[in-house]
Amino acid sequence: MTRIKSYPLPMRFAGITVLAILAFSAAAARADRPALNDKPTPRTLGDFREIQKALQSHLERTRAATVCLEVAGSSGSAVIISEDGLVLTAAHVTGKVGAEMTVVMEDGRKLKGKSLGLNSETDSAMLQIEEEGPFPFVDVDLKDTTRLGDWVYSLGHSGGFDKERGINVRIGRLVREAESTIQSDCMLIGGDSGGPLFNLNGQLIGIHSRVGASREESMHVPIREFQRHWDDLKKGEFIGNGGFAQKVVPGSGFLGIITDASTGGGLRVIEIWAKGPAEEAGLKVGDRIVAVDGKEATQEILEGRLAEIGEGDKITLKWISGGETIEKEITLGKRP
Amino acid sequence: MKSIFVLLVLAASLAVANTLPSEKRKNGPLIQEALSPVQIALQESSAAFYNNETSSPFLYGTVVSQDGLILTKASELEQVKDFHVRVGTKKYRDPKVLGSDEVWDVALVRIEAEGLTPVKMGETAEFPHGTWVVSNGSTERRFRRPRPGIISANKREVPVPGGVVLGVELKEEQGGLVIGKVTENSGAEKAGLKPGDLIVGIDENPVKKRADLIKKFKDEKEGNLVRLKVKREEEELSIEVELMSREKLYGRQMTRNDQLSGGDLQQSDRRTGFPMIIQHETMLTRYEVGGPVFTLDQQFVGMNIAAVNRVEAFAIPSEELPDILAELKKSAQ
Repeated sequence: MTRIKSYPLPMRFAGITVLAILAFSAAAARADRPALNDKPTPRTLGDFREIQKALQSHLERTRAATVCLEVAGSSGSAVIISEDGLVLTAAHVTGKVGAEMTVVMEDGRKLKGKSLGLNSETDSAMLQIEEEGPFPFVDVDLKDTTRLGDWVYSLGHSGGFDKERGINVRIGRLVREAESTIQSDCMLIGGDSGGPLFNLNGQLIGIHSRVGASREESMHVPIREFQRHWDDLKKGEFIGNGGFAQKVVPGSGFLGIITDASTGGGLRVIEIWAKGPAEEAGLKVGDRIVAVDGKEATQEILEGRLAEIGEGDKITLKWISGGETIEKEITLGKRP
Repeated sequence: MKSIFVLLVLAASLAVANTLPSEKRKNGPLIQEALSPVQIALQESSAAFYNNETSSPFLYGTVVSQDGLILTKASELEQVKDFHVRVGTKKYRDPKVLGSDEVWDVALVRIEAEGLTPVKMGETAEFPHGTWVVSNGSTERRFRRPRPGIISANKREVPVPGGVVLGVELKEEQGGLVIGKVTENSGAEKAGLKPGDLIVGIDENPVKKRADLIKKFKDEKEGNLVRLKVKREEEELSIEVELMSREKLYGRQMTRNDQLSGGDLQQSDRRTGFPMIIQHETMLTRYEVGGPVFTLDQQFVGMNIAAVNRVEAFAIPSEELPDILAELKKSAQ
């Protein structure tokens, strides 16, 4: 069990080296594992008590690091894995790279976060808390010591944040293993997405991803899948072309104004789309836009910027309306 | 909160999968077998309700007296008119419904029996998250199968969505309800209620427990006025409070994900509006509630009262049951 302060970077987790570590750790790992995992099933009540004792001994620490993620009016779960606020979650929760979201601790404290990279094919994603730590965090099973049949537990903000109810904990076994997905019989529900799965050493072994037709089929992204793409996830790459997240299509965003070069400099709003993002932000016909994302507003700058970004992305406009200067961040809508 | 991230439902198709046989899984027969000492307690103190028309079991009950008193879930029992009961291996043909408690959704049933083993209710105990609990799973005529789960969330009140509130946090203490926090802009704040005030009455009725308020609020609407009898230090005050909508004061209740229930789940119709519950993650259906919940040491935790959704089951805590039973007996006389 290694407790990591700032997350050690992962040249050594990439590619072939990972496979080497897996093969080598299979035997060595035995010593780390609670003995009850090597019994085919619990035989006595004592065996159940041992499972309970192990789970409860890690619960306080792992609950403290499990968070709710609020993203554009929706919510999922996630887990902090370093003192300085690196967070693992699911790609279908963050949805995109570089997006701002709110991280809610179990006590209700809200923190600002920004999504880093994601893998749209396996449903892994990273996020950084953008506030001063230290934060509570969990150990990660970097040596991949968990085996089929091991007892595991899940945490999550099921159905969204609920202070009275708190985090939900559920128990189960690891019932299926494949390279980029592990399955447990810990039950999951909406809002658990992105939340953590732990072994009985209290180490993070997976992130909740999806469920099967029965209540007893829950899929998680294993930690080895995060390790495989660690650098790219941390750098903010959008990996793959899978079903868990869609890349923003440049030029797909909609602001809802027509402008013309203004005699006093900047851009004059000459037409505005009713209920479009610009109107919702308070822009009116006749207003003069003077800056686009901090640059002096010209037709070329505005059009160039809109061609780079897409639906759901943000653009900051500064404009003058009846003598008043207003600056606002506007989220682009879908092109009608 | 508009929505929650819904886990995508996929058929379990893991390529090169390495699979644990189903008998070894959490709800598998080998685990059930290892729980046999708890199964004995379940078998003795549970009643299984059978529909006489279909001969199928449709509900459990909790045995609360040696001479045949059984508590069960009222709203579920009401749906079957003609039924019989099994306790242990014996069949009882003529059960009688003596009454029901609307607040807790509990019915009292009597069977002609002697020498039953009632649960030991009334003990106040805290069961931390992660504590194993065992309930009745499926049943055969002579055998109740144990189903395991753990305590999965905080013990709490589960309000009716859309109900009315005073706008205060309450604790059952000193023979009434002590006010903790007073919510800003609530009727309570406007009426001048303060933290530490002890509520002992509402309109003409005494208030001893949370359930007394909930019973009163069931039929009240937003904007209605109630008169509270309140003790503040040495004074006894009479304070009029305007009731407010819970949703308006505290925001909308979260969606409870009922759509994610999956094909194998049948949830209870009545699953909110309980003054206090213990939540566990035992996989139950609406037809498997009503029975007792035990720890591994066969300590009675409470009575299952709702299969809530894909992942949650609620039980009425042991310490609440003596009062519920006493009220039911009183009104049955």
